[in-house]
Amino acid sequence: MQGITKNDLIIRIGGEGGEGVISVGDFITQACARAGLDVYTFKTFPAEIKGGYAMYQVRASTERVYNQGDIFDVLCAFNGEAYNMNRAFLRPGTAIVYDSPSDFTPDIPEGVHAYPIPMTQTAKEMNNPRAKNMVAMGALSELFNIPVESLREVLTTKFARKGEEVVQGNLKALERGRELAAALKKTDPWAIGTPKSKQEVIVMSGNNAIGLGAMIAGLDFFSAYPITPATEVAIYVAKHLPKRGGTLIQAEDEIASISQVLGASYAGKKAMTSTSGPGLSLMSEMLGMAFMAELPCVVVDVQRGGPSTGLPTKHEQSDLFLAIHGGHGDAGRIVLSVENVKDCIDLTVVAFNLAEKYQCPVLLLSDGSLAFSTQSVPCPNPDDYKLVERKRWDGKGEYQRYKFTEDGISPMADPGTPGGLHIATGLEHSESGLPSYTSANHEAMQDKRFSKLKTVVNDVAPAEVDAAQGAGTADLGIIAWGSTIGVVREALQRLRAEGYNVKGFYPKLLNPLPAQQFEDFGASCKRLLLPEVNFLGQLAHFVRAETSLRPESYTICGGMPFTPEMIVNKVKEILA
Amino acid sequence: MNAILQPHTHFNKVDFKPKDFKDEKTPSFWCAGCGHYGVLTGLLRALSELGVDPNHLVSVSGIGCSSRLPYFVNSYKMHTLHGRAGPVATGVHLARPDLAVVVSGGDGDGFSIGGGHMPHLARKNINITYILMDNHVYGLTKGQCSPTSREEMKAAVTPYGGMEEPLDPILYMLTYGATYVGQAFAGNAKLGAQLIKGGMEHNGFAFINLLSQCPSFNELDTAVSFRNACDEVDPAHDISDRNAAMQVVNKAKQEGRIPTGLLFKSERPALHERMAELVKRVGGHKDYDLKKIIDLARP
Repeated sequence: MQGITKNDLIIRIGGEGGEGVISVGDFITQACARAGLDVYTFKTFPAEIKGGYAMYQVRASTERVYNQGDIFDVLCAFNGEAYNMNRAFLRPGTAIVYDSPSDFTPDIPEGVHAYPIPMTQTAKEMNNPRAKNMVAMGALSELFNIPVESLREVLTTKFARKGEEVVQGNLKALERGRELAAALKKTDPWAIGTPKSKQEVIVMSGNNAIGLGAMIAGLDFFSAYPITPATEVAIYVAKHLPKRGGTLIQAEDEIASISQVLGASYAGKKAMTSTSGPGLSLMSEMLGMAFMAELPCVVVDVQRGGPSTGLPTKHEQSDLFLAIHGGHGDAGRIVLSVENVKDCIDLTVVAFNLAEKYQCPVLLLSDGSLAFSTQSVPCPNPDDYKLVERKRWDGKGEYQRYKFTEDGISPMADPGTPGGLHIATGLEHSESGLPSYTSANHEAMQDKRFSKLKTVVNDVAPAEVDAAQGAGTADLGIIAWGSTIGVVREALQRLRAEGYNVKGFYPKLLNPLPAQQFEDFGASCKRLLLPEVNFLGQLAHFVRAETSLRPESYTICGGMPFTPEMIVNKVKEILA
Repeated sequence: MNAILQPHTHFNKVDFKPKDFKDEKTPSFWCAGCGHYGVLTGLLRALSELGVDPNHLVSVSGIGCSSRLPYFVNSYKMHTLHGRAGPVATGVHLARPDLAVVVSGGDGDGFSIGGGHMPHLARKNINITYILMDNHVYGLTKGQCSPTSREEMKAAVTPYGGMEEPLDPILYMLTYGATYVGQAFAGNAKLGAQLIKGGMEHNGFAFINLLSQCPSFNELDTAVSFRNACDEVDPAHDISDRNAAMQVVNKAKQEGRIPTGLLFKSERPALHERMAELVKRVGGHKDYDLKKIIDLARP
């Protein structure tokens, strides 16, 4: 094996949907994670149900990876379309593995390392035409040092259900691919490094991790309506929640799903729904009721490109306005956002805890790039999580559901509790729950419902400040939210390596906004930049409204996440 | 564990008169002569006859005059949003299948703004009792045409008379697959009580249409006209025959009559029973080890 070991390698596989592109990506991801490498994947699906261009990108590293990276080092093209789609991204040094002979002959640019592999032909010769992707995978593993022993294990496990013949057929195609690649002269420098240590990890997508987090939190009831890119949350929960004796229902629309969730919550259960922007719009009215009637619930919004039907399969962070203020009247909500797959587990638990404690809706914002991104995360231990249950009435004295208390939190009574009869209502009400429209009562009740949220900031870990040790005032500070945080982390590493004095600030609690934490960070930076994937600069808007800070907005909305390189260039431009 | 919980567990638990089920804390809300008083009387009587423990009874409503009904019932209760009582009640029931859940609401609430939910309550056979308080008009907003208003009704937003064909809630519910369908004049609290009691005892989705006069905003459908148009269904009618029930309704409509009584009743598993079966099939229980689920995600 020639080549310079690179600790951090990005491989992109492209082809026709249904050709096994996604499986190859999954196998490589699983094998790398099994071998102890950190992985972060990124994929795009064709909007069409059948056919169309499918792409799977795997980033594997001996170090921690925070995002999908800038651009691939290695391209594996299953067909002409995949080559043409990525032609513009080829740079001197990029390696390309492609099917040849085939329906296309690539014009290899100067400096690009080309490895023609007869993928289709070999699979046909082996009387196993569907194993084209295995031949490709074998070639990739040989050329770039993808841990082959782990690949064999993963493959064997995956195909075991289909019988020994299928296992052997695929393994043989894999080996043949390796032989074909070994016969070629390796000219590029790329090879995955050897993992330092083997950690206990799991590999999950953001959507599945949200489902797992919910079950760790003690989810009892889940209702949702299918919507891209959030449906996989429901699919995961549907598979596993019955094992815990829980209830899952697919509702007739998003209004019904949030309604069912509130019904279940009233009945004393931990309940949740997941959706994307259009569904969250429909839920707005019922979320107002959840605030008014003080019913705990967790709503996950896996954001996609909007407005309206927008770009259903594309990435955007544009539902922050809706999450915080969507709906009529003055209504409060707690809004959290996740950076990565690990957050999808941990912050979902936090979301349930906050909903239970504060008896209000908690919105968890994820996004399109995280939804399907698989990442390796340390294997969670459910016993390590602290779980919160709603405050329940102790049965003493006369029960008043909306009793004024010091912290604004009034004990709840599950149906079945003797003496606890009460009404949950969207009408303004007195302490006992009966309609009351006096000005004094409405003002007192609004104050109760809002002031209880004042302590939320103490229940969420403070926003992380990303700064070099002993760093004083930074020339520039970057505020980021959602999956953009991971991109900023890497950009800051690169900038610091080049001598820039820069810091990062990564809030996960976005409403109520931890204003003091923002102020403290702002005070330690000469200038502030706030990159986010939406047109209006939504978080920047809230920061300007609720703090004295005036961050410079850097917005894109092309359906793709930022890359570290984009952030690096922007910072250099500002500090030039 | 895994026993399928049923509301019946909480029946015959109290020896309450109908008035003991009346929550007196909220002052009267409806106009004098409103048909909804008859609905309330029927409901309280049914609860008394069932002896249902109020602690395990949940009344759910949406928005409208009729949706104030839960305020007058001694029970746990939810006064939700316009059109959403059905799905909220579904959530209460599926989360706690042991609770007895009664929904009440108007024709606009159920068949206009909430119309998209009705088919699913019926086809999924959600084990709740839905009382439609059908007065053929929007009352709380002071007299507009509802989906069950007569075509000729002159109302606030149709000063020259309506232009739309009314729908028949009973025909819809029969078509949607409801497993218990009955109808009565609200003023006939005895029949109303009988239908509600039967509906609450029924395992599955029970729909009861109670025709209720609105003396303030609907001059076309009065207590007298409703009463005079009602005919109790022929005792020979086969309540297990869905088509026969539809024929009874269609024939009566042609004659300008309203068939009352229990029109249809059938048995099939309710959704919560199917869900309980599923949990049983996968060996599910509250203490199932999460680590086993987490291990599935190891590479």
